Amino acid sequence: MRTGAARGYAGHFHEAGFYGSDAEFRALIVPFVEEGIAAGEPVIVGYDDRKNALVRSWLTDPSPVTFLADKSVYAAPARAIAAYRRLFEFHAALGAGQIRVTGEVPHPGNGGRFDGWDRYEAAVNTVWEDFPVWGLCLYDTATAPAAVLDVAERTHPRIVAPSGAHRANDRFQGISVFEALPIVPDPLEKTRPMIELADRSAAEARLALAQIGEGRIAGPILEDLLIGVTEAVSNALLHGHGSVTVRIWAAADRIVINVHDQGRGPADPLAGLVPASSNIPDAGLGLWLIHQLDIDVALNQADDGFTVRLRGGTTSG
Amino acid sequence: MRVIGPVESCRGFGLQDHLCWVHGEPCEYRPRLTEFFSDGLERGLRVAYLGSAGELREHLGRFVDVGPLQAREAIQVISFDEIYGAGRPVDPAKVIKKYAAATQQALTDGYQGLRVSADVTDLVRAPEQHDAFARCEFLLERYSSRHPLSAMCEYRLDLGDAVTQFACLHAAVPEGLTPFQVFACDDGAVGLLGDFDVACQTAFERAMRRIHPAPDDSCLVFDMSAVRYMDHRALLTLGAFAQRCQVPVVVRSMPPIVRRVAGVLGLEHLGGVHLEGS
Repeated sequence: MRTGAARGYAGHFHEAGFYGSDAEFRALIVPFVEEGIAAGEPVIVGYDDRKNALVRSWLTDPSPVTFLADKSVYAAPARAIAAYRRLFEFHAALGAGQIRVTGEVPHPGNGGRFDGWDRYEAAVNTVWEDFPVWGLCLYDTATAPAAVLDVAERTHPRIVAPSGAHRANDRFQGISVFEALPIVPDPLEKTRPMIELADRSAAEARLALAQIGEGRIAGPILEDLLIGVTEAVSNALLHGHGSVTVRIWAAADRIVINVHDQGRGPADPLAGLVPASSNIPDAGLGLWLIHQLDIDVALNQADDGFTVRLRGGTTSG
Repeated sequence: MRVIGPVESCRGFGLQDHLCWVHGEPCEYRPRLTEFFSDGLERGLRVAYLGSAGELREHLGRFVDVGPLQAREAIQVISFDEIYGAGRPVDPAKVIKKYAAATQQALTDGYQGLRVSADVTDLVRAPEQHDAFARCEFLLERYSSRHPLSAMCEYRLDLGDAVTQFACLHAAVPEGLTPFQVFACDDGAVGLLGDFDVACQTAFERAMRRIHPAPDDSCLVFDMSAVRYMDHRALLTLGAFAQRCQVPVVVRSMPPIVRRVAGVLGLEHLGGVHLEGS
C-alpha cells in the first residue's frame, strides 16, 4: 500500500523538485520524509554532509531514516543504479509497500561532474519499474548549471513545488526520446594520439595500453582501463560495423582512449547502465561492466560511427 | 618439470611432456620426429610410432638405423587401430587405457618410460570425431602429467582452424598456434594459460565442454597463474562449467586483473566458482 502523492501508482514514481534556498529545500524534503516515517516506509536520504545534517536537524526523529554517507554510491551512474537496486531488493524482500528515496546526483553546483548523470536520470524511470519506489530528486537552482536544470526538467515525469503541489511535467521526455547532453571532448582528443591501432585484436590493444600506461597512472586504474579497452574492442568486433580503431592519448598522469567503429552503436538507450536489457544472451554485459569500473566512460553516437571513450587518471573536463 | 606454454622447437622435452605440432607437408614432420625420438632414446625411453613400419622407415630411415632398434623393441610401431580402435569416433577412456598399458609395459621392460608420436590428422577429418578426439587429447594431457608418457601429436595444416581446438589441449604448442591453453598441472589441477577473450571465446567454450573430471577427482582445481587476461565471457564460461560439473570447482591463483572482472560481475553470477585464498 503506497502513501502520499504516489498512492495507487505502480513502479518508480520519479519526481523532481527545485529550490533556491534552505527554506525551500526544507519545505520540499521534510514532508516527504516525515510522511514516510509516519507510514512505516523505509526512507533513504543521500545528500552531501551539510544537507544531510540539515535534514537530520529538521526531523522530529531522524532515527528511522537511512542517511547515505557513502559518497561512492554516486561514483558512477551505473554503479548508483546497481547500488540502489540492491537497497530496493532488500526493502522489498522485507515487505515494504513503498520505498522513499531522495538525493542529488553530482553536478558542478555541488562539486561534482554531471557527465553521464543525464542518462542516469532518464534511465531510472525504467530500470526501477519493478519496485514501489518514490524517488524525489531535489535540485538547487542557485548552484546547478542551466544545462543540469534543463536535464532535470526533461527526465522527471512529475514535479513537486516547495508549496507541496504535485503536478505532471509536460517537458518530460521518455527514455526512448530523451536527448542526452553532447559529450564534451577531452582536450587530449584534439591532439595527435600516442598510438592508433586499426582492426587489431583486444590483446594487441591491451599490450599497447599496458606499455603506455605503465608508470604513468596508478596500477588499479590501468587495470580498469585494460578491462575497459578489452570489452570495448570486443563489443566493436562483435556488434559494430566496419573498421575498428583504437586511439590512445597520454598525458603525464592520465590516459584517454577511444574505441571507434563505423556502426551506430547500441540501439538500447539503457546500454551500459544495466547488465543486459535485450534478449540477446550476454549482450550489454560488457558495456555494463565498463561502467562499473573506476574510470570515466562516455558513449558517443555520431554520424561517423560509435565511440566508447575511456579516461583514467587525473580526469580533465 | 613439464614444458608448459608456447615453444620454438621440439628439442629437450622430458619424460612427461605433451606437445602439439603442425605441418604442411610430411617432410616437415620428419626432422621433428627424428629429434623427438632421438632425444627419447637418449633418455632411455621406449619410442613408439603410430602408423606403419613403412612410414617409420620413410620418416627416420635417413637419420636413424631403425632395424636394430626395432629388433630390440626400443622403437615400436603401433597401428592406429591398436590404440584408437577401428571404430570412429574413438572411445577416449579406452584409448587412455591403451596408452597406460603401453607405458607400463615400457617400464616393465626396463625403459624410463614411453615416448609416442603420430600424425593424427586422419583421425579428426570428420567434425563428428572432434569431440571424442579432443577428450582423448585432454585425458592424454592429464595422464602424461603424472606418468612417464611423452607425446608429440602432429596435425596437418589443411585441417584449418580445427587444429586450434586440439592444440589448446596440449601443455606445449608452437608459438602463435593458439592464444590459450588448457593443460594439466603436476598436482592434478587444470592449468589455464594465455589470453582468454573474444578472439578465442568459441574455442574456449568448446574446450570447456570437452573436459571432465576424472572418476577419482573429488574436486576440480583450475590454476590461473599462467593466465594473462580473462574477460567476462570466459569467466562466465568457467562459471557455467562449474555449474554443470559433477564435482566442486575451485579456482586458484587468479591474477588481480581477472579477480577485478570477477568481482565486478559478482561471483554469484559465476555459477559456484570458488576462489581459493581470496
